[in-house]
Amino acid sequence: MFRSKIAKKNVYLNLFKDMSLLRSLEETLAKEYHPANQMRCPVHFCVGQEAVPSVLRFFLKNDDYVFSHHRSHGYFFSKSLPLQKLVSELYGKQGGANKGFAGSQDVSLPKKNFFSGAILSGSIGVAVGKALDEKSRGTKNVVISAFGESACDVGLFWESVNYSNLKKLPIIFLCENNNYSVFSPQSKRQSGQSIFKKVQTFSKRKNSFRVDGNNVFDLMKIFDKVFSLIRRGHGPFFIEAMTYRISSHYGPENDYDVGYRTEKEVLYWKKKCPIEKLKNYLLKKKVLNDYKIKSIEKKCKKLILNHILVAKKDRFLNVNNLERLNYDLKKTNKNKIKNLLKPVSDTNSNNNFIIGY
Amino acid sequence: MKLQTSTYSQAINQALDQSMKIDKNVKIFGQLVDYKPGVFGTTSGLVEKYGKERVQDFPVAESLMTSMSIGMALNNKNKVILVHHRIDFMMYAMDAIVNWMSLWRFKSYSDTSLSITIRAIVGKGWGQGPQHSKSMHSWFANLPGINVVMPSSPFDAKGLLIESIFSKIPTIIIEHRSLFNDKQKIPQDPYRIPFGKANIICYGNHITLICIGYMSKLAIDVSKYFKSIYQINIEIIDVRTLTPLDKNTLIKSFKKTKKALILDPTWKSYGASSEIISVLQKHIQNNKSYSLDRISYPDSHTPMSQKLEKKFYIDKNLIIKKIKKILKIK
Repeated sequence: MFRSKIAKKNVYLNLFKDMSLLRSLEETLAKEYHPANQMRCPVHFCVGQEAVPSVLRFFLKNDDYVFSHHRSHGYFFSKSLPLQKLVSELYGKQGGANKGFAGSQDVSLPKKNFFSGAILSGSIGVAVGKALDEKSRGTKNVVISAFGESACDVGLFWESVNYSNLKKLPIIFLCENNNYSVFSPQSKRQSGQSIFKKVQTFSKRKNSFRVDGNNVFDLMKIFDKVFSLIRRGHGPFFIEAMTYRISSHYGPENDYDVGYRTEKEVLYWKKKCPIEKLKNYLLKKKVLNDYKIKSIEKKCKKLILNHILVAKKDRFLNVNNLERLNYDLKKTNKNKIKNLLKPVSDTNSNNNFIIGY
Repeated sequence: MKLQTSTYSQAINQALDQSMKIDKNVKIFGQLVDYKPGVFGTTSGLVEKYGKERVQDFPVAESLMTSMSIGMALNNKNKVILVHHRIDFMMYAMDAIVNWMSLWRFKSYSDTSLSITIRAIVGKGWGQGPQHSKSMHSWFANLPGINVVMPSSPFDAKGLLIESIFSKIPTIIIEHRSLFNDKQKIPQDPYRIPFGKANIICYGNHITLICIGYMSKLAIDVSKYFKSIYQINIEIIDVRTLTPLDKNTLIKSFKKTKKALILDPTWKSYGASSEIISVLQKHIQNNKSYSLDRISYPDSHTPMSQKLEKKFYIDKNLIIKKIKKILKIK
């Protein structure tokens, strides 16, 4: 996977920087979310789940596709897209990725092959379609379908797993299992064995894995294996990355008062924080020191604060005809097939007053 | 222009065949589309010509098939046609249509468009019962971002289908199975019928019949009856597309005849007929000679038994009775 020890250290250092930036994005945005109330859309933060999208970023190429769920910021970042467009989108401004039409959970950059959506598992089916198209055109592009374990409650997920295995599609189903559907734990919703084992039954070839989603080393290994196989035409794959959302389901406030998880449980996972784990490794290897860490964190925060400032100063887009926006704005009729409004003759009737039939 | 006699299903078959010939990115998905009988003959012969990649049988997974079509059509890569043997099965795909397809363009601020055509067949009549006979056009016409098309003749079926395949807006074409054997002389060459242009089937000045889907067939018979017995000229307009709706043509006719009867083959309440009435009622002047009414199905599911089924569906006599009442003919 790595050409030299230096290359390896550099990769992990960059990974640390990426995860720090993602954490900084989420924490800074969370602080700005309330009470300022200028980001007026549901925002699902991914504090604690930075490892999977950051590692994914290392393997993705420009032409690859990412279909994300509502917790979209990490995946937007994984596609190496300009964060300014994401932040401005949260503020609903015209500099946003979708000029304020989508918000946090529906943000997309179609020309960069990034899409997301809030209705669980819906995007999985869309991703399967893209994978079928890539396969039929014989490209080496990979389609990532990212979702949480709750999406596996839905029938469409199983239809997708079945069909992708049937057609051997170049798609990676990337399940971030954070155990909760809002407040409801997996054990309350799903029966039988773990998801990755169930998915494995759809193929004779080993193509379904479980991995510690907070351990970047394990993630690097599994992604390296899966990506090299899938680019050689051996899809699909399913990866269940076990992780935990430190932030509440939605917004910046903690949700301990709901009673669905204990502070002790959150504390346990805070100790398993993917960034801390990597930081300790890099300190031990003397790639990082306290000064460098502080400077990385400062740099990240400065960058995000600047994005927020730009977003706040930006203008709202004004659209006069919303109805038209749902249909074709630029009507181009390149096709040269003749337009006909009426049939040229009528056989159904001999009455000459009937013109149409 | 060369003409040939074609049935409704042959017209659809021609539209598919010619579109696939014109553009190699036109692809068809649906259960059993690659078998000889195809879907009531509409897809027969296509797999032999264009191969299994472009004409694909699909698992019984309507939900996946429909959401998958969005991924296929992304970035203008493919023009996708989906076939549902019965529209009732398409209801599994509501999430794909309502939550994804219809708003895909909108939420990206028109950065993306989807060339998707969904052909959905209504199995009206012959004991199809409550799970094989719903029409649902009003539901989908209510949804922004989708076009709803209801061809009533072979000529319309071919031209509207080709228009839809090459359009960049997702379109649901609702076909009534009872039309599939209707014959008409239609152009051999491919042609398009632009959306949003109603078809004035015949001109008249006593009353306007506004027809949705197969209703225009009944209307033509009714108009012949009134012409021959009462020398009354009925204007028949087939709306062709519910979205976009050709409001101007409807309004113009209503202003002329001052009387409009809407024939809508679906449940009455909250249906397409209500929408058309609300468009037209603004043009009623302070004059008692205006009349605006509708005939549709009762707000009930379809019974299976021959006797009850006959009672449920709209028949000629019902329309004639209503027109006589409106025109005060005894």
